[in-house]
Amino acid sequence: MSISRRDFIKLFGISIASLMMTRCRIGPPIATCYAPMPPTDLPPTPPASARERLRWCWQRFGELAQATRDQASQGEGSGEDTLGQQMVADHRAALDELVASGEITPTVANLVQEAYDAAVYHVWRSNAPITCYEPVIVDYAPASAGVLVQQAEILAEVAGQGEIDPKTLANAQAALEHDLAYYALSDADLQALYDQVLAEYQSNGQPIPSFDALQLEVSTDTSAAAQFIINLLTGK
Amino acid sequence: MKDTKPRLQSLIFEATQRCNHACLHCYNVWQPAGVSTYPRGELDTSRTLDLLAKALDETSCPHVTFTGGEPLLRKDLPVLLEFLQKRNTRTTIISNGRLLDESPLIELLDKGVSLFELPLLSHQREVHDALSGVPGAWDAVLAAMANIRLQRGQFVAAFVATRLNIADLYETIRLAFAFGARALMFNRFNPGGRGRENMEMLLPTAGQVRRALAIADAAAAEFGLPISCSIPIQPCLVDTRAYPHLGFGYCAAGSERAYYTLDPLGNLRPCNHSDLILGNLFERSFPEIIAPAHMQAFMDARPAFCDSCPKRDECQGGCKAAAQVCCGSLRAEDPFLHHNRGEYLAIPGI
Repeated sequence: MSISRRDFIKLFGISIASLMMTRCRIGPPIATCYAPMPPTDLPPTPPASARERLRWCWQRFGELAQATRDQASQGEGSGEDTLGQQMVADHRAALDELVASGEITPTVANLVQEAYDAAVYHVWRSNAPITCYEPVIVDYAPASAGVLVQQAEILAEVAGQGEIDPKTLANAQAALEHDLAYYALSDADLQALYDQVLAEYQSNGQPIPSFDALQLEVSTDTSAAAQFIINLLTGK
Repeated sequence: MKDTKPRLQSLIFEATQRCNHACLHCYNVWQPAGVSTYPRGELDTSRTLDLLAKALDETSCPHVTFTGGEPLLRKDLPVLLEFLQKRNTRTTIISNGRLLDESPLIELLDKGVSLFELPLLSHQREVHDALSGVPGAWDAVLAAMANIRLQRGQFVAAFVATRLNIADLYETIRLAFAFGARALMFNRFNPGGRGRENMEMLLPTAGQVRRALAIADAAAAEFGLPISCSIPIQPCLVDTRAYPHLGFGYCAAGSERAYYTLDPLGNLRPCNHSDLILGNLFERSFPEIIAPAHMQAFMDARPAFCDSCPKRDECQGGCKAAAQVCCGSLRAEDPFLHHNRGEYLAIPGI
């Protein structure tokens, strides 16, 4: 299993954005598990230093999410991510200053920007509404047991009407029963199934590697870019 | 170097113009045969691969939807899918289901097709077959749905709401749910292609659509089934806020969410309902073709009827592609709006 450095840094940016959105900020320990984190206190105007402006950009995902939802509910525009584009431009400009001052190399800067672009796009897309010919958001998770039972009841009723080809009905029922069988498995059955899938996967010459053994095609620059973002957000 | 490629959520590829159905509501821009002057034909496998490669090289696009015509009529479909699979591009196939037997289906799933979009126009065989223009269509699509689920694939059902089938909506949703549809698309009939010739027979009234949406909204809640209304519905005809379980969208032309459509000859259009050819991908680059100079007129077009409406920039008058195809102008009224002006509602709050 391998992952390109470009994909890595994009996923890294998206992961950071997701953490920021859930306010999983690194800081002093909080008293309880579920205590809500206070809203980010963003300065009303961008900070003066390039590094602080960069940090400011990474703290604006909540604002972007809200603006995207507001834009949709107020019917402004047709999907243009105006704030996101501005954030991307601000981030690039701050990075360019750091490159000019020698604090960061152009290669690392481009990777940091790549991470930020992906993060902005992810947040915007997660909050933009369904649009013309978007074939709805499909949930690929297994259907719940309740849904399967409901499907089985309707299918039995439809079958009773005698309109549908028997072979088609048999296939539909077989598929449904297969899905239902999953819910009848005990923990031991599930573990056995998991072991079987794992063994089949490994028998194809594709052993599942440990995380440490993953062949990440991450260059020194990519690591530096990821570390730069972490340092930026943790105030190092 | 910053990546300046246009970012698209998806690209529609009309793999072929050939079809084994003759849907009364078909919006394909090359229909009706003998009337439409739209360019016809398709490229061989090698040139088609070149075309797809160029489209993906020149954009940042993670997803391609194959449509037609009927895409499964292309014998080289697995080759095209394999090419996209190797590029980590997700694929969806819009099909009538007629050719989705077990063997080809397994091959398509192996080639990475993540979603099928299949029509289910009624719970009644005769209604579905009449709208599809061929006998056996209903049996075929149900068989395809059962096959897909049996082979661990995923599908969504598309219901095209016309005067002929709109009363069947609830039972149709129920049938789609029982067969394992992961979602349902409620597409009000949008005239174009062959559908233009059947407009009087098929175009529902706004009142019929309102009643159908109420049924869809209740069904979405009852079955926990996502239902989206993919063809724009004007809020001055239907107050979409009354249907909280349904998703509604408007024309996304020009944005990242646009559904640029590539025909089998390489002509690029704003969407699959539009017959406006922006350019040919073998002659110009993707970014050049979709540059504002070419797309702006499409994006800015609004019918005069909407001038004073505060929702005009969101709704854009509905489907301007249908307006152009049916009335010859992007600024004409979408036929659904035009034929339902008598039901215009001044909606409180807009």
